[in-house]
Amino acid sequence: MASDTNWITLLASNDRRGGVAAPARKPPAELIWKATLGDAVRSSPVLRDGVLYVGCRDGRLYAFDVTNGRERWRYQAQAALHSTPSLSGSLVLFGADDGTVSAVDRASGLRRWQVEGAGEVWSSPTVYEDVVYFGSTGGEVTAVDRASGQLRWRRQMDARISSTAYVTEHRLFVGCGDGRLVALDRSTGKDIWVHRAADGIVASPAVDGGLVLVGSEDYFFYAVDTESGKVRWKIETGLGVTSSAAVSGGKVFFGGRDGYLYALAQSDGRELWKSRPMRAITAPPLAADGFVCVQSFYGSTQAFETDTGKELWRANLGGSVSSTPIVSAEAVYLATYPGVVYALR
Amino acid sequence: MDRRTFIYNAALGTLHLGWSSQAAASGQQGASSPQAPSALGSLKIAVHAPEFIPSPLAMPGLFPGRVIDVSHPQPIRDRRIDQTAVRTMLTQGMAALTGDKKPADAWARFVSPADIVAIKVNPSSAPATVTSIALLREVIAALNGAGVPNRNMIVYDRNSNQLEVNGYHTQVPAGVRVVGLDQRWSVKGSSDVNRSGYDPEVYCEMDCFGERETRSYLASIVTREATKIINLPVLKEHNASGVTGCLKNLAYGSFNNVARTHVDPKTYTDPVIPVMCSVGPLRSKSVLHIMDGIRAVYHGGPFGWNPEFVWEAKTLLIGTDPVAIDRVELEIVEQKRREVGAPSLFDRNPANLGRSSDIERTAQKNPFYREPNHIRTASELGLGTWELAKIDRRKIVVS
Repeated sequence: MASDTNWITLLASNDRRGGVAAPARKPPAELIWKATLGDAVRSSPVLRDGVLYVGCRDGRLYAFDVTNGRERWRYQAQAALHSTPSLSGSLVLFGADDGTVSAVDRASGLRRWQVEGAGEVWSSPTVYEDVVYFGSTGGEVTAVDRASGQLRWRRQMDARISSTAYVTEHRLFVGCGDGRLVALDRSTGKDIWVHRAADGIVASPAVDGGLVLVGSEDYFFYAVDTESGKVRWKIETGLGVTSSAAVSGGKVFFGGRDGYLYALAQSDGRELWKSRPMRAITAPPLAADGFVCVQSFYGSTQAFETDTGKELWRANLGGSVSSTPIVSAEAVYLATYPGVVYALR
Repeated sequence: MDRRTFIYNAALGTLHLGWSSQAAASGQQGASSPQAPSALGSLKIAVHAPEFIPSPLAMPGLFPGRVIDVSHPQPIRDRRIDQTAVRTMLTQGMAALTGDKKPADAWARFVSPADIVAIKVNPSSAPATVTSIALLREVIAALNGAGVPNRNMIVYDRNSNQLEVNGYHTQVPAGVRVVGLDQRWSVKGSSDVNRSGYDPEVYCEMDCFGERETRSYLASIVTREATKIINLPVLKEHNASGVTGCLKNLAYGSFNNVARTHVDPKTYTDPVIPVMCSVGPLRSKSVLHIMDGIRAVYHGGPFGWNPEFVWEAKTLLIGTDPVAIDRVELEIVEQKRREVGAPSLFDRNPANLGRSSDIERTAQKNPFYREPNHIRTASELGLGTWELAKIDRRKIVVS
């Protein structure tokens, strides 16, 4: 569970739950509510204190009351939203295609600050203590003050940054479109080490047990030592990997463009199981309490048993390129590429 | 921009437009084509668009009838498309097309540093058989070599989800824009927040099957932003049009509301595809076509989800004449289908009609009577060369 302020990577933590506990294992059987938005939803919804926040390609950030789906507020940005929102204290933070990152008040939907950069911001802003970090397709990694948006540092990486950074006390780990996985000094943005994959790294790294865990477009999934940048293990998949990994209970889960959901042993990369093939999986899975859940392109939302890979349930509600469902004690929340948000139980 | 409305029907056809019909008389000479009449009279299509202004670069372009068929013995290594091999294929293919030894000189025939270059990819066979990222990167690098900066390039297609799932947004160099036309926000900094990806002033209007919306609009990237288009189709069969090559990639990837032209088993892809390609901005700006045939699809297209119907053709087809390239593509797919015992793309046997789901299962069935003669119709409209005897197909092997 994320702290109230720190949101150290996409969806707050490595299990990709969006900061929500997820005990439910039964298949959703009933529609609580649904909302049809103005365009596709590419990002993941996030949930806190009974409010679901959804960024839409129509340029709006929506806040829904989870009990009835009523819209509490909407914020109109000046460009499409592909970035998964981050929650930090009283703020919702998100990037937009015009290169801006905005901080909006969670309760009112009013803008607190906005910072401009180069290229679209598809990554999710990452918060550590009083700093917000984000990458852009213009090649910049930027650090700004959480309270004011004032620039702390900016680093030009000369490659598209679509990967959401993972931030620790001293380091920032992020993938680059040219295949670099870099560890930067969190306070200065300078290189600590660089690992070079053979093709782009789009996924967000997970960091656990001294390993940076991330897939690449070069078909490999890597476990890289957090201190040295050396590869501890790697495994080959059938196509590129853009799905950010979820890590839970010593297992690493991620989807492949080859259509498989993979479960690996975190210690040595051993394949524990992989799903039956689906359409391409580019979205991050969530992993929690005995099950792992993922949305696939052109497909469905499916849940599998973490230990065996046995399919637990499936919801044919429209696929997603990059969205991760939320499974809470009360409901399952899905945002789909066609732009429909579902609350199911 | 001066726009006019042109009407195609049986009585008017090309004469009304004043375009040459250089191949109309010889369009029935293809070895595998049936002796079918022109499709231009089969559907009334009103085109509302700027008048086409002929230029040397407009289709069929600088090298009518010429197709460079450049192959490499091993462009796929360990299942991955080899970037170095693609570079060699593209460089030598362009040299063979233009006669220029320096790549920058070859590309400078088609683009200048001030151009806004739209690059039309084909992402519909996600994820296996699409315009490869390797080819796209090499084209971008070649454009850079000709002085075109990344900020002047727009990679586009109709469907942003397909672009995204294939990684185009994330794998091209920084600065290159990647735009799905279904996005409402196609231009950074645009003050029009409700901007659509399509130009309301440029469209084709036709009623195929009594559909509610009878207009198909052309992408505003094509009409308003791009000064040149580089077309990167994929070598593959299409269940309605026969093949999806240069012509279909341009037409159905640049206009919206096009799926309505085929309701099984009937398809109006002929004449809709060639008419759309004739529309002024698309015809005049599409200056170069590079067909990705490294992996190819002989059945189940355009999606090609069954890997059984995908083969490694190991080729790029390069030229400025989309009709000639598509004609060669048609021969390649037909040859492959003969090898595996599948019916011809011109097959009209009702016993071979099947459901849409059948095409993923067997190469014997198809939901449509395909219309590969759309290529010949494009020739009638002056877009290029249909007859094999007049096509200058130059096969080169590089390594």
